[in-house]
Amino acid sequence: MKNPFSRRIDLKELDDSELVALAKEDKAAFGELYERYLQKIYSYVYYRTGNVHDAEDLTAKVFIRALSHISNYVEKGVPFQAWLYRIAHNLVANWHRDQGRRKIIALDDYVVHSLKSEAPDRLSEEREERNQLLEAFHRLPEERQQLILLKFVERMSNAEIGAIMGRTEGAIKSLYHRTLLALREEMESIHTGDRSKRLRGHEG
Amino acid sequence: MSASEDIQLQNSLDSITARLQGGEAVEPLLTEAEESQGDLGEFVDIIQSLHTSLAPISPSQDYADRLRADLLNGRPGVVKRVRQIPPRVHVAAILAVCAGCVLFVLRRIFGSATAQDIQEEAVATPL
Repeated sequence: MKNPFSRRIDLKELDDSELVALAKEDKAAFGELYERYLQKIYSYVYYRTGNVHDAEDLTAKVFIRALSHISNYVEKGVPFQAWLYRIAHNLVANWHRDQGRRKIIALDDYVVHSLKSEAPDRLSEEREERNQLLEAFHRLPEERQQLILLKFVERMSNAEIGAIMGRTEGAIKSLYHRTLLALREEMESIHTGDRSKRLRGHEG
Repeated sequence: MSASEDIQLQNSLDSITARLQGGEAVEPLLTEAEESQGDLGEFVDIIQSLHTSLAPISPSQDYADRLRADLLNGRPGVVKRVRQIPPRVHVAAILAVCAGCVLFVLRRIFGSATAQDIQEEAVATPL
């Protein structure tokens, strides 16, 4: 059933809570929520899965599930954004379980395009550094990957991240510190591995 | 490291991340970090790498439009595609149905034969 008043309201001016209330009866309001969160959810899923195909499938599933459950959604300390990310997180976790492995993300065109340097040597070096970073990132436990993505891709505050992950701001700061330590160790391990591979290559 | 030092380091990491994301240059931050806390400098490079490498990614416009239409108009396109079950599940379902049919037929055949046998046996048995 469509809300007759929603047509007179500029949906873009409404906040998430107001849109969610309307979206229970009016799909146009859900459409506005979709516009607000599509890129965020897609980015999140893309970095967690490492490929466009699965990112598209899982993003669609997130919004299908959100649409079918929005009538039951009640904002009890969990904002809509956090609810949506929790759906995404659960679907990605199921996907990883079904895959039985973690895919290593390929450094694709999106990241290469973001590089500013035009010198080929520097570009290649930066590309290698980014590959190592992304490989180290994918070796991290699930919750640490989630934290890094929410902080760097989504640029969320600790309070927003805490709402999604069900933790306090202090706990998020502490987890961030531990995540950076783990990331540094993983990068050192990858770097050492690469160096020994190269040495073995020279010896062979 | 004591608990208070630990918390101080966590706050500094948080602050450096926010300042890098706010557009501050990395070199002065690095110098500042090394002067205040030796450990901190080691993290600045990693934070900078994360900041430059993890850019938001947009889906294709075609995909975004199709999904929007599917969600709002209830068209089957993407919705139908994502609900497709994997081929191995298809095969398992077909095998399960076939096995069910075979069992059903066998039960009908042998079940009725057994009943007939019982009837014949009952008639043949003198009271």
